[in-house]
Amino acid sequence: MRKRPLRIPGFLALVVLAALFSLPFVWQVSTSLKTEDQVGKSEMDLIPRAQMLTLNGSTVEVKPIERKGNEQVVEILSGPQKGAKVSVSPSGLKLKPHLEWSNYSEGFKAFPFFLMLRNTLVICVLTVFGTALSCSLAAYGLACVQWKGREVLFWTMLATMMLPGQVTMIPLFQTFKSLGWINTILPLVVPAFCGNAFFIFMLRQFYRTIPSSLMEAARIDGASDLRIWATVVLPLSKAALAVVAVFSFIGAWNDFLGPLLYLMDDDKYTLAIGLARLQGQYSSDWGRMMAMSVVMTLPLIVLFFLAQRTFIEGIKIGGVKG
Amino acid sequence: MKRRTWTGLAFCSPLILGLLAFTVLPVIASFWFSLCNYPILDSPRYVGAANYVEMAHDDRFWHSVQNTFVFVLASVPLGMIVGLGLALLMNQRVPGIKVFRTLFFLPTVVPLVANSVLWIRMLDPESGLINSFLRFLHLPEGWMPGWLSDEHWAMPGLILMSLWGAGGGAILYLAALQDVPSELFEAAELDGAGPVQRFKNVTIPLISPVLLFTGVMGLIGGFQEFGRAFVMTSGGPWDATLFYCLHLFNSAFTEFRLGYASAMAWVLFAVILLSTIIVMRASQKHVQYEQ
Repeated sequence: MRKRPLRIPGFLALVVLAALFSLPFVWQVSTSLKTEDQVGKSEMDLIPRAQMLTLNGSTVEVKPIERKGNEQVVEILSGPQKGAKVSVSPSGLKLKPHLEWSNYSEGFKAFPFFLMLRNTLVICVLTVFGTALSCSLAAYGLACVQWKGREVLFWTMLATMMLPGQVTMIPLFQTFKSLGWINTILPLVVPAFCGNAFFIFMLRQFYRTIPSSLMEAARIDGASDLRIWATVVLPLSKAALAVVAVFSFIGAWNDFLGPLLYLMDDDKYTLAIGLARLQGQYSSDWGRMMAMSVVMTLPLIVLFFLAQRTFIEGIKIGGVKG
Repeated sequence: MKRRTWTGLAFCSPLILGLLAFTVLPVIASFWFSLCNYPILDSPRYVGAANYVEMAHDDRFWHSVQNTFVFVLASVPLGMIVGLGLALLMNQRVPGIKVFRTLFFLPTVVPLVANSVLWIRMLDPESGLINSFLRFLHLPEGWMPGWLSDEHWAMPGLILMSLWGAGGGAILYLAALQDVPSELFEAAELDGAGPVQRFKNVTIPLISPVLLFTGVMGLIGGFQEFGRAFVMTSGGPWDATLFYCLHLFNSAFTEFRLGYASAMAWVLFAVILLSTIIVMRASQKHVQYEQ
């Protein structure tokens, strides 16, 4: 459809909505840089500020503790007199813009962040590798090799997409338990090496569009199927494989139920579980919690900007053909 | 020819193994468990349909069913309306369309747990952004929703949160809108159709397959809603956000009643299958695929 000409009210509505949709992000980042004192305030303020007091000519950050008559007792948080409590008149206190970076440094210390990041990345990398490998092999088998039974397999695979994970969750848990796989990453990564119906479906559709003359030519030259897959099909399907990689990475990074079920020890946890646990324990320290939620979101936003076209393609494939 | 069968099987062997080990066998086991009394440490003991009968008499089961239906029936249509609205607004000749598309889509990228942490804060009755905004509008203090701490407002809070992800659908609708040939609109305009009629008789029918797709996917995802409530409310207050799958998870992994939870999983599957069929059937007349 030819785009309709721009009308001012429509454009304004778009701008207002875009502001509304970005507001939670702005607020998330802003809260992650606010002092504990300001986070608890009910006024809407997107700019992080701290109470400042001018003491002996230098400005220091303070935290209000209690009121005594006309005086306000504050704790000094920075400068040489750090930790001291002084009583001052409220008019001497000023709110000034201030970024509380310690929410980030304290947040990293509140739980074994870097260990959990490593755990998460190990699972992500293995998942992406396993998914891309198994799905492209299966898609080749379903699209490029003529054999009896492939239609049956294809339709069986599609039918399993209808099945909610809750049905298989309990028997799988029991199976992994009897295999001794609980508290290891095996239940989270081994299934990735056995393909994913949606990605196989997508790759199969793509492989069918590859001219068979290309594969025939390679076959006449004496190439085996494995060689044709590796040297003809894979290089041609880089874009589709990128979709598989990006979306399986996001799936593994965001997965909550899997690690919740199968990982038991702190030192095995992924970021998703670590953050959820932190939320349960330190639910009062919001600056820190927000800082950690920013840290967990940021890689995906960066990934989105790096692979924007891949994202949009993947969503369209999912939406139009799925 | 025989050799090709072996080749095909070899390429698909991880898939076949995976389907057997992670789907087919667990599905059979799950059905068997659903007919058993199965405390996690004991072995399953056949009890016939007892789990299914118990479900019918379990008040919390019905409560979780009701909660889930409320969530699905509110969040799916609202999400589609907001998504369609965004898509229509983006389908203008706008400078910086990519920026808008990105801004609306980004919320769908946020990880579940990070999103939950953010929205617990957003919905805080005292210092959350939403109530701060309502105060900024000078709404009386008595009207402030208690959101997650109030049993009547917890569900609307989660539905509101789900709408932040409406941009995912918007991207799809926009792609569909841009595929609609402009001659159709010009023809409709020549025939004297106003903007409302053009929207109703041209736009909607032409993007109806995508609308149906997002509707069905939303339905399937909505019935499986779990993580949000698990992280944010644990199903509370007073079970106000006890979703079906949260109840199922608790039955299995806190009450260790694997048989009962398996039976719940099968009921879930039946409900998803049935509602998908109903939606597909009901929309058959209205959805138009390209010839």
